[in-house]
Amino acid sequence: MKKLNCSRSFLLAVALLASALTFTGCDNKDSDAPSGAYAEDGVFVLNEGNFRESNASISFYSNSTGQAEQSIFKKENQGRLLGDVVQDMELVGNRAFIVMNNSNKIEVVNAATFQSVGVIEGLSAPRYFVALNNEKGYVTEWFPPKEDWSYHRGRVSVIDLRTYKVVKTIEVDVQPEQLLLAGGNLYVANAGSPLVHVIDTGSDMVIKTIEVAYGPNSLVLDRNNNLWVLSSGNKDWNAPASEHTAGALSKINIANNTVTSTITFPDPTASASKLLINGDKDTLYFLYSGGVHQLSISASAPSTTPLIDRTFYGLGVDPVTGNIYGADENSFAGDGTVYIYDPQGNQTGSFKAGIGPNGFVFN
Amino acid sequence: MAKFSFLNVWLCACLGCICTTAIAQQDTTQHQLRTVEVFGRPAEVYAAGSRVAQVDSAFLSTYSSGNLAEALQARTPLYFKSYGASGSSTVAFRGTNASQTAVLWNGLHITPATLGQADFSTLPLSGIGEVALQYGSAAANYGSGAVGGAVLLNSPKYKTDGFGGDVKLEAGSFGRYFGSGSAGYRGKNLSYGLSLYKHQAENDFKYKDLSRFGTPEVRLQHAQVQQHGFTQDLNWQISPKTKLALHGWYTFSDRELPPAMGSSDTEAKQKDKNLRLMAELQHQSQLGQTSIKAAWFNDLLHYTDLSNDSESEVNTDQLQAEQTYTSGERWSLRGGLNLQRFAATNDGYHGRKDENRASLFALFRYDPVQPLQLSLNLRQALVEGYDPPLTPALGFNWKFFNSNRHQISLKGNASGSYRVPTLNDRFWVGAGNPDLRPEHGWNYELGLRHVLVQGNAFLLETEATGYFIEIDDWIQWSPNRTGLWRPTNLQKVESKGLELSTTATVTLGKLKLNSTAGYTYTLSEQVEVYEGSGSDVGRQLMYVPRHKAILTAEANYKSWSLLGNLNYTGLRYTSNSETSHLDDFTLLNLALSRKLQLGPNTLLLTLLSDNITNTAYQTMAYRPMPPRGYTFSLRFSIP
Repeated sequence: MKKLNCSRSFLLAVALLASALTFTGCDNKDSDAPSGAYAEDGVFVLNEGNFRESNASISFYSNSTGQAEQSIFKKENQGRLLGDVVQDMELVGNRAFIVMNNSNKIEVVNAATFQSVGVIEGLSAPRYFVALNNEKGYVTEWFPPKEDWSYHRGRVSVIDLRTYKVVKTIEVDVQPEQLLLAGGNLYVANAGSPLVHVIDTGSDMVIKTIEVAYGPNSLVLDRNNNLWVLSSGNKDWNAPASEHTAGALSKINIANNTVTSTITFPDPTASASKLLINGDKDTLYFLYSGGVHQLSISASAPSTTPLIDRTFYGLGVDPVTGNIYGADENSFAGDGTVYIYDPQGNQTGSFKAGIGPNGFVFN
Repeated sequence: MAKFSFLNVWLCACLGCICTTAIAQQDTTQHQLRTVEVFGRPAEVYAAGSRVAQVDSAFLSTYSSGNLAEALQARTPLYFKSYGASGSSTVAFRGTNASQTAVLWNGLHITPATLGQADFSTLPLSGIGEVALQYGSAAANYGSGAVGGAVLLNSPKYKTDGFGGDVKLEAGSFGRYFGSGSAGYRGKNLSYGLSLYKHQAENDFKYKDLSRFGTPEVRLQHAQVQQHGFTQDLNWQISPKTKLALHGWYTFSDRELPPAMGSSDTEAKQKDKNLRLMAELQHQSQLGQTSIKAAWFNDLLHYTDLSNDSESEVNTDQLQAEQTYTSGERWSLRGGLNLQRFAATNDGYHGRKDENRASLFALFRYDPVQPLQLSLNLRQALVEGYDPPLTPALGFNWKFFNSNRHQISLKGNASGSYRVPTLNDRFWVGAGNPDLRPEHGWNYELGLRHVLVQGNAFLLETEATGYFIEIDDWIQWSPNRTGLWRPTNLQKVESKGLELSTTATVTLGKLKLNSTAGYTYTLSEQVEVYEGSGSDVGRQLMYVPRHKAILTAEANYKSWSLLGNLNYTGLRYTSNSETSHLDDFTLLNLALSRKLQLGPNTLLLTLLSDNITNTAYQTMAYRPMPPRGYTFSLRFSIP
């Protein structure tokens, strides 16, 4: 009860502050200069929308005003639709690459104004994107599922970021998800297998596959140059529950690309996803069994209690403040809510986003 | 008690509005209990105080090449969610949803038990005789699913003696062709009718693609439709007291389903095959009327796209036995039993799933004095593994003012409703939830009806109804903690609104005019949410327009007739948060006909234009609907 009052008065304070700022904003009369509107300190929220309904959107929450701007792509591009299921967004220099999963494209916008500067078309269910530099990027792609909802092996496409054309495709394993660049290599987690592929960014060839626990979906690099891989375990709903396996965190030494340790989760039925790391790169955050868990990179056993005991669809960690952002998906029937927590897991605020918020990109 | 005072408020509102507003359809409950017919009392007899509206037959005949979704969207205050020109189309009454709408054909449910909702774009008008709409809950009369309302379809009746028949041919914009033919015979004790139809459309109209840079005009791809089917009806008066009717209805549709703008084209296609057969035996004895209906339905749905090939088949057996006893003109009692058996095979289930359902009902109608009509109905459903509540309904019509020219009635109704979860809700592997509770709710309404008659030249019928509906344990699919989509008893919803309609019929020499205006105001919102943040409580549910209005007119002069429909649909939110919406739109349809007499036969030439003002609109977000189109139609009839 006390906690509630506390957060309520905090919210009130935030609201008062926000309205004060809004009023001063009005006095400035500079609202006709949108350039750089999204360059300030804040966070983009990726709202995937409803599958096949083309209602994905991106919200921008400004840390200075405490206000969220909704559907910023539509707003800055004359009412154009963003598309169907936004899966990922990367800031590369002054551009933002927005991966539209069920539109088979990547929309490219000016990161500060969010005005369209190009589109990469002809992809197949793109998932995640990283850029090596201003000229070369990589995107993981799936092919349409088979009739039993199992998948063919996916691929990584190499994209020329000057022409927005695919220049090469590299076959990887089933359901390639997140990718991460480290030590001149590209690491690709294949969620429909137990494998992480290592691709040399010079030759764009697979140079090694590393076996981890089944279902690797997300990757982070810690301060000691260890690659952490989060695996969900086998959760195939077609298979009986007895065949399900536990998820795990695998630590890979990128100098020799071998697994140095594995932390296996206790419950084989619980799923794990959305591995993130803080700005100091010494604390891991992830979703496990309906809660947000925190784990030091020096840990050798899983955490037993969640830092935040609440189910989120999207998760983010601010690299500067260490604040944790959790998104409630509101059953995909209405706008989701983003809750902000301090690094100790105390809720400090919240704001509304769009339908199905699944990820955050910090500015 | 609080609810009754709420109703009083509505009543005042209705009284205040009645002079300014107007009407949509006729209330068939006015025609009851006049004489004791030997056979076939419409079920509406037991729906005193509720709103039942008949869809105009001249309209149905002019637009007989279309489907029920198109016809009712244009002609009634109902809102249809259409997934584009070739996609599925579902209806909701009074701020509820498609699953909460019962669809009955000759008195029996035809909605497949798997999905639990009817796709009105696969229900052709060809071969349907009458369409009536029951607004509000009527689960005591019609069983599970009649939560928001019910669509009542009846086979045609053959009224002309001897042989008759007609042929209709149509060609229209966007590659649309339609042909139908019917033949019938009516003798002393036997009548028989057969009708066939075939329809195809390319739907290759142009629309603005909102997802592409510069929002270019593009042509809709992959939206072809082919439909055909037949109906067959036989009525045989076996003896003066015994009658047998056989009805057969087959519909086939093969459709391409285009993606939403901006969504990847998965080359989705759907085939639906529905065969419905039923037999009805009626017998009159000293104990009243006995009616036994037996039916067998086979519903096949085959969906394919780049990564799916899924087939769903349901066989439904139904038996309904009723006994109706009528005493004089004062009271009538009907008791009955309905048995349903579903056998469903579906790629989403582990093998075949069977389910048996039964319900017992008693419907009572009592007119204590001439101007007052009361009805009391009760239904108890029995479902394996469920415990649906006893569902009552209580209603009245009170004609409290009756002069030579004016008649004013007050009517009201309180009725319970329930809906048993669908087979998909329960048996879908990995998602089906056997612990779901049936939805249940209440509907309260109060209305005023005014009829003004001036000789044979002028008739004005006006009706105003205010209602309040609550539905608890509303079933919805949503993701759980691990992201798995499954059905839950998610929310409690309240819907309240106002329905106004007025119809004027004027005869001036050879000119005959008929015009209807209608308006509905609907507020439908979550009041409790049992899972998740509940942050949308108190907001309008998605795809429920607050305002919808229609204006229809029909003028006949000598051999000419002109039919017009103007319909306004207010803005609809596309999620439950009221933050994104589809703009309001107005559609105008016109049909001009000329009837030529060729000896005893008639040739009817009709020119139709739909969406004359070329409005760009959507009823489901980012699914483009057809722009202005023209159709030319020929109909040749032998009496």
